Amino acid sequence: MYKHRILLLLMAATMIASRPAQAKSYEVGGCNPSLPEFPTIQMAVSSVPPESTILVCPGTYFEQVIISQPLTLKGADINNLDRPVIAAPPNGLAINVTSITGAQVAAQVLVENVTPPGNVVLTGITVDGSLAEVPLSCPPAALAGIFYASGSSGTINDMTTRDQKLASCGYGIWLENGAGPNQTITVENNSVHDMSSAGILAQSNQTPPTLTATIQGNFVNSLNYNQTTDIEVFGILGAITGNVVTGGLVGITNAGTDASPVTISENAVAGISIGVGMSFGDGSKVTSNKISNVYTAFFFGGSGVSPGPTVTANTTQNTTYVINYNCIPNVTVKSNTFNDSEFGFLQIPPENSGLGVNAIDNIDTVQTSSCP
Amino acid sequence: MSRHLAWFFWVIAMLALSAPLQALTYEVGGCKTGAGYVNFTTISAAVIGVPAGSTIEVCPGVYSEQVTITQPLTLKGIAFNNASRAVITINDPTGAPLAPNVTSLTTGQPFYAQVLVHNVNPAGPVNLTGITVDGSGGSTGECSIVSAGLAGIFYAPGTSGTVDEVTARNQVNDGCGFGVWVENADATSETITIKNSSVHDVGGLGVAIAALSLTPSTLTSTISGNFLSNAGFIGIEGDASGTIAGNVLTSSGTGETGIFAEAAGLTVSANTAASWYEGIRISLASTVESNKLSNVGTAITFFPDAVVPVKSNTAMNVGCGFDFLSGSITGAISGNVLNDAANAFANWLGSSISGNSLYNVDTIQPTVASCP
Repeated sequence: MYKHRILLLLMAATMIASRPAQAKSYEVGGCNPSLPEFPTIQMAVSSVPPESTILVCPGTYFEQVIISQPLTLKGADINNLDRPVIAAPPNGLAINVTSITGAQVAAQVLVENVTPPGNVVLTGITVDGSLAEVPLSCPPAALAGIFYASGSSGTINDMTTRDQKLASCGYGIWLENGAGPNQTITVENNSVHDMSSAGILAQSNQTPPTLTATIQGNFVNSLNYNQTTDIEVFGILGAITGNVVTGGLVGITNAGTDASPVTISENAVAGISIGVGMSFGDGSKVTSNKISNVYTAFFFGGSGVSPGPTVTANTTQNTTYVINYNCIPNVTVKSNTFNDSEFGFLQIPPENSGLGVNAIDNIDTVQTSSCP
Repeated sequence: MSRHLAWFFWVIAMLALSAPLQALTYEVGGCKTGAGYVNFTTISAAVIGVPAGSTIEVCPGVYSEQVTITQPLTLKGIAFNNASRAVITINDPTGAPLAPNVTSLTTGQPFYAQVLVHNVNPAGPVNLTGITVDGSGGSTGECSIVSAGLAGIFYAPGTSGTVDEVTARNQVNDGCGFGVWVENADATSETITIKNSSVHDVGGLGVAIAALSLTPSTLTSTISGNFLSNAGFIGIEGDASGTIAGNVLTSSGTGETGIFAEAAGLTVSANTAASWYEGIRISLASTVESNKLSNVGTAITFFPDAVVPVKSNTAMNVGCGFDFLSGSITGAISGNVLNDAANAFANWLGSSISGNSLYNVDTIQPTVASCP
């Protein structure tokens, strides 16, 4: 009994001691009177203690938001409503970050210089670029719905980014990292649609790459606007998995350096000019994707170093070309199923025919234009 | 020694005896000739001329024929000399017009079937694999809901088999075009599998893949791993028991319903549908689960009094997540993820629906909503 009482007191003391370090919750928009309220998202993200959770009530917030401490920004629902929208302010967006590529980016939600180091989590919020005005033309200007700049990590899930359409420089979600410690960002279960450039972009300019991105379970769509690329990664590590990608010119592309292998798996890609484009990114694995209703299912570029990309267990149907090797050596294509194409393999390097190791049906011309 | 000799003679005798029973290879198109091959000049002649249960290899090339199969066999497209497409087309060089050759016992509608499987005797499966059926130029005259349809492949009541790695395309017929139509109205149960096939560019009032029976269903159909695009008024119509699983359905925007589930004992799972007026319409099914629906007007529409559990589906970028058409339904709606919708549970008059994950929904449960 006595021992139990000591234990109880000890537990109570521990709980009291730990309370100041516990993450607190705040809110924006006035739907949850039990929480401390901020009038704008920007004031909240600047004012709360690190690691706090900020609930954002349904409504439209005409703001450009900069986050520079670890926190969770989360959409809330009330009274049958469940969509907080961050929209461009009526007086236009400011250029607020310079990309590692030199682009001058107006980011609607910018995550940068996160201090103390920690994760910035965005969930359940819509970022709408339809009214965005940017004080520079494209290029060098670009518009991004969400931008994780160098030195930031975290998770973007269950978000919506839509209508970032600055000429040909509109991006839904843009992640990047330059020199410095490696950063890890997860982008999952988001709805991304109607961009003028890329739906999701992840890039690093370092060798070895300093950004590891997991891009999974997203729905990226551009049937209503000619988005150049749905998911584009450049010189990073990570995985692109289980996304549904429809419309646009290129579905998924991995470019950058020879030392940026990425796994591209279990995606459904449809209604696009090029399904999966690989230039550089050697050692990448492209596996178990379903690609249909595209002009070219796979396109390769880059230096052709060994080991090159491995393309296995994919299914393509209803294509004009299955694979354009583009004369790139060291590409391994085996155990795939290719059905219904006008042409099979184009610009085939001498050592790699792709024949005999894939299941092929209903292809008018299997091989065309070999390389010297 | 003498025992060995006797054994040797016995083996020789057996080999000699079995030689006349060796399977011959039946071939159409002339790409494989010589000993062991029996050649036919048309597919129609082959499917009549071979013994029941034979495999007929069809060389790459164009076959302008209307084919009727009345015995169990396998019709298989093969690759030869850099080509791997054996295509059955409409335009008969002899000028013989396409003829009506079957009446649907489930709809009463006459059909002009390019490949018809019916009155199969002896009973046994008819398998089609690696063949293209192209309906370009095919016309049945007038096109209205009850008028004659053009079907690429038609399995009539009493037939069974597998359609695998087939392409059915361009069954347009002024709108009344159907890619693959299988049905059973007999008391005897039949089983038909349609898998890994490419079906595209069918008539705007048509159906890409239809499986129909009467109530109770005597047809068990498995429709799996198919890829559909520009796939008619309904992509897959499931009015029979069985499964519709792992299909990818994309429309270029004119399609009404991706998957129409209207039979008890039907499971609709793990399909990906994008860019339809509605992703899935349900009047009756045993379960609808783990489908991915995006860029659709309505993800799932319930006929009034629909009976079905709907679980673990993901829908993004939709007008309405679930439209109940002001009716009631029987069956749990649980574990679904909805992101980026104008309305979640639309035209629902019952009590609030819980147990699903909603993000970025303008209105959660409008009793009156216009679902696009």
